[in-house]
Amino acid sequence: MSPYWDDVLAALARQPARPELEALPLRSTAFATLYGVRLTSLGPYRLYGYLSIPTGAGRFPAIYYAPKYQSVLEIIPQGTANLQRSRYVTFSLASRGQRNADSPYAAMFPGLLTEGIDDAATYAFRGIVADSVRGLEVLLARREVDRARVVVSGNDIALITAALGSGATHVVTTPTLLYRTMELAPKTHAYPLEEINDYLHLHPTRAEAVRRTLAHYDLLGFAPRVTGTTLVMAGAPGSLLDATALRPLAAALRGPVSVYESQQSLYRDGLHSERWMAEQCGIADVPSILPEHWREAS
Amino acid sequence: MPRQSPADYRSKVRKPVDFDSFWNDVLKQASTIPLEPEILPDPLRTSDDVEVFQVFYTSIDQVRIAAWYCRPVQRAQRTPAMMFLPGYQMDPPIPKEWARKGYIALSVAPRGKLRSNHQFNPGYPNLLTHNIVDRHTYAYRGFYVDTWRGIDFLLSRPEVEPARIGVTGSSQGGGLTITTAAMRPEVRAASAGAPYLCGFVDAIELTHTYPYEEINDYLRLYPERRKDVEETIAYFDGINFADRIACPIIVNVGLQDNVCPPETGYTLFERIGAKDKRLYPYDGHGHDAGRARHTAVADEFFARHLRDREARS
Repeated sequence: MSPYWDDVLAALARQPARPELEALPLRSTAFATLYGVRLTSLGPYRLYGYLSIPTGAGRFPAIYYAPKYQSVLEIIPQGTANLQRSRYVTFSLASRGQRNADSPYAAMFPGLLTEGIDDAATYAFRGIVADSVRGLEVLLARREVDRARVVVSGNDIALITAALGSGATHVVTTPTLLYRTMELAPKTHAYPLEEINDYLHLHPTRAEAVRRTLAHYDLLGFAPRVTGTTLVMAGAPGSLLDATALRPLAAALRGPVSVYESQQSLYRDGLHSERWMAEQCGIADVPSILPEHWREAS
Repeated sequence: MPRQSPADYRSKVRKPVDFDSFWNDVLKQASTIPLEPEILPDPLRTSDDVEVFQVFYTSIDQVRIAAWYCRPVQRAQRTPAMMFLPGYQMDPPIPKEWARKGYIALSVAPRGKLRSNHQFNPGYPNLLTHNIVDRHTYAYRGFYVDTWRGIDFLLSRPEVEPARIGVTGSSQGGGLTITTAAMRPEVRAASAGAPYLCGFVDAIELTHTYPYEEINDYLRLYPERRKDVEETIAYFDGINFADRIACPIIVNVGLQDNVCPPETGYTLFERIGAKDKRLYPYDGHGHDAGRARHTAVADEFFARHLRDREARS
């Protein structure tokens, strides 16, 4: 990949995950059991995740919810039908700094995107990427997971995880943070990219150092290593990260790729990605695992 | 079978007879606690056009509450203000966009949110069911007061025009907009999107998604506590606050909302006491509640109610 990422992965490999599972009866149902998982990543740093295993025999397709850019760790994304957990193994991970993994380090939002950014060796996302790769490893070690149907879902971190880790057969990625960041940030006032503008406004002399760090993280550098089937969730036409802006990324992905342009509707966008994952994983009767208010249209 | 129209839904929400006395007592307790506001410039977040501050104030139970405070650099001596209230899982944003629209803006982090979680931190999931069997200690008792105290903070600022304060938010922020507009007559205009915390007992039957699913999880494990749970949440249901709202208000809902069922939004709207109220239902939209189209509607609404006099003067 690159000496930078080779070093990160080598350091991660030297650190055993030592996962520790605890059943959570409050969040377990007749159709799925939920576990809290503690695991070790680079540092060493102890992380936390929610692992849901469907009731019944057999191997199940899996969705790995890579760490999001928010403090809260969700079991499954807000608004997802809880019944999704009856058909997929799901695993959501809090990377270092997020809730449940916020000791000794608690990340700030906004703030995390520029934490340590003027030095690639100390940039916060170095550890976060390692955490996410570690999470995928721990998920894949579960005997309940059908390794032919493993979706990694999330923002930029999902794509990077699929590139650096092994075993992601499918990827759903919504680029938000790490695609041509230095070029796109000045074109917006919206957070999280506004964090870059804030930082460079206060520290203009560090621009070159920031550029050097972000060069290690640009999605274009990871795309050729992604061999799984990928769904790129682009912004609405005309937005900063619309399908046109993401065309070079889609072209650089090595596996089959489709690009979906947001219709600025969490219903339409969410329905598309839920159906896509179900179709890719061979799940029939999709309406049964959709939220009640989405079922009529499905 | 096709779903019933959300407008025809019959809510199960009932208002406790001592609802007003319960909340008047909470307000009385809160009023004895000094606000002790602290306002710290944040040079990292300040830009050429917007000054940004970190704000802290004290709320009920002596919990220290954090907030972001933004001022347009170019502003009148007294400027209209907007209070932004956060969603359930979101980290309270820095409301620079409101400052760029010409408002002084406060974005509150109620207890348990990042930066306000040193003294109270039930976590997510868990906030929704924290002490849910006891209205006197239920998580949202303090959480609601924290947002109402945000109005006190704005009123303490000499640059705020006290007769032109608006409140807005979506999802949990929409629910908190309802409760704040109901309890603080200083609020002169309110815009609530996809309101959460409205119709708890209906929502847990209509949908099985988080965060409302936290209550179903709780009742599955502790079925014997259902009566206590239902008794508590009645005191916190936005629908039961709605008849106290007198200021102009708009509400937007998505007809395919998978988080806050649109049925609850219709019930809420019907119960709002204000004469000047309007519901914006967006077909083809989920929990975004038509935000992409509705932003311009809300901007025009607030400009009309909070800034027209300024423009004329």
